[in-house]
Amino acid sequence: MNADAVRRALGFIRDRQNSDGGWGYRPGRRSLVEPTGLCLAALAAGGGGAGASAGLDFLRSCRKSSGAIGIDPTDPEASWMAYAAILAFDALGAADEARRLAEAALAMEDASGRFTADEVSSIAMTYRYDASIRGWPWTPGTTAWVEPTALFMIALVRAGISPEHERLKSGVRLLVDRRVRSGGWNFGNPYSQTQELEATPLSTALALAGLGAAGYLGERAAVREGLRYLAGALAGDVSAIALAWSALALECYPFGGPGRPDPVARLAGLQAESGGFRDNLVETALAALVLSGPGGLVGRRGRAG
Amino acid sequence: MSPAPLSRRAAVRSLAAAAASTLPLAIPACRRGEVKRPNGPVFPVALLPCPDYDPANLAKALAEGWAAAPPPDVHGKRVVIKPNIADFSQDRPIHTDARLVEALILLLRDAGAGEVVVAEGPPHNRDTEWLFRQTGYEDLARRLAVPLVDLNHDDVRPVRNADPRAKALRELYLPETILSADVVVSVPKLKTHRFAGLTLSLKNMFGAVPGMKYGWPKNVLHWNGIPSSICEVNATVRTGYSVVDGVVGMEGYGPILGTAKRAGVLVMGPNALAVDAVSARVMGVDPARVDYLAMAQAIELGSLRPEDIRLTGASLDDVRTDFILPPGFSALRPGAPRG
Repeated sequence: MNADAVRRALGFIRDRQNSDGGWGYRPGRRSLVEPTGLCLAALAAGGGGAGASAGLDFLRSCRKSSGAIGIDPTDPEASWMAYAAILAFDALGAADEARRLAEAALAMEDASGRFTADEVSSIAMTYRYDASIRGWPWTPGTTAWVEPTALFMIALVRAGISPEHERLKSGVRLLVDRRVRSGGWNFGNPYSQTQELEATPLSTALALAGLGAAGYLGERAAVREGLRYLAGALAGDVSAIALAWSALALECYPFGGPGRPDPVARLAGLQAESGGFRDNLVETALAALVLSGPGGLVGRRGRAG
Repeated sequence: MSPAPLSRRAAVRSLAAAAASTLPLAIPACRRGEVKRPNGPVFPVALLPCPDYDPANLAKALAEGWAAAPPPDVHGKRVVIKPNIADFSQDRPIHTDARLVEALILLLRDAGAGEVVVAEGPPHNRDTEWLFRQTGYEDLARRLAVPLVDLNHDDVRPVRNADPRAKALRELYLPETILSADVVVSVPKLKTHRFAGLTLSLKNMFGAVPGMKYGWPKNVLHWNGIPSSICEVNATVRTGYSVVDGVVGMEGYGPILGTAKRAGVLVMGPNALAVDAVSARVMGVDPARVDYLAMAQAIELGSLRPEDIRLTGASLDDVRTDFILPPGFSALRPGAPRG
């Protein structure tokens, strides 16, 4: 654990809390559920303290009567950002609220049940994935993709949902099915017609973290090839958020052998004098969780990986 | 994805229609960039040869187009440039070339723009930091001290969908950077599109729709129907000027997996639909056969008709270069049998 870096990151977060209790993606911007949830999860990992209660109240103000949560208090719809709220409620000991949000997330529909057999067949021909597999969409009722599926899997396992739950097992199937055959993941189209679509570091890191959270075995081909892709990607230009998620994924599936990329050290090197990372609250919160040491976000509390 | 009616969701949405009708409109009217004539509006469009991305050539073409098809007054105004950064590839010209946007920023500053902002919400890849860096926009923003905004994570607020036919999306959450702009300049790449046929200025505005609300790849818009969504977004968002990067475009299986096609032109003007119509003709496409362009004309976003467009610069015959069309879009060619 890099205690000084974590302390400074948490100070950056605390100092930039909005008057409504939430956080925006950038300092001074409007509060939203994703940055608020992740900032609260980071603060919880650092011991909680001032601001946590107001932050949770902001999240509560975003809940809908259905039990789901929008992007902010004005949003009438359920949103993918629920994953971050689940993490926050769980991290700060509001287990009942985490569980209710988790139930809403488990009930969130994607488009898998709306596709006709012909559409499933057409998608399989064009994109080479199975559109009948249930995962999570960004917005209810639309197509499931790699990243929201991984984010919900991470949050749900964190909140105590068993990896044996049918939706989580389906999420695992979706992630494995959507992988790019030469290794790694992109947003969720492995192919288009005859051409393979390239994997990306962020999607790959998230997919690996999602699989890791669900206890998927590291010896399997999807993980091995994903790690091989990620090792190559980390040797080049990678964003701060991709570094953070890579570090979290590698908590589940550590690189073997010497001379492998070290995203934790690289991420730590991006910290600004202010304590923040790129002046971005989500990236700062994720970095704080990474630098706090293993087990801060991915997997059940008290169980590494 | 196969767009399909969003029946259940549409039904739920219809219940919220009354509430949505109380939201403000983002713009007071749909028509823009028009010059009145006795029998109706005329839309100026400039078609400028530009052989490459040499800064001097870009500056010359932009200045000529600016004079021939003038933009709205930008003096002292906040101008937001919306390029197309659909993705990045080392091998394929997916994104609007940053050198064109650089030349445009310099032109806007010369014209007295109060502030120039570059903003984009990439559709597929959520890693905007990486995309901005790989495509050269991060470097451009630093060198020219221009704000570079990720529209997928900007502040947002709901506004009323200005397309009166809109059913599912009666309101649209849009980024403050776009809503607060005095002039939005759409700067797309001249490309084919596997779902829409073509992607030009109107389609480029999908990138103004925030991913954090509508997801990646803006999937809600796909389920809403791509032609309808293009019209709804453009009826709601003010596009004050368009500059199409046709120096090197993309043909075939665009907008990501196509191949480079050199057209050697910029297409510019204050009416996005008229600019798109001319751009389509440059590509060897009849714009009236492109679903969303025909729909846009029907809701009076401008005109596709040659008689409504005052074309200056190069002649279409001189610069037309037929782009290979995506599978299933052969009927877009003038005179081709309709499918």
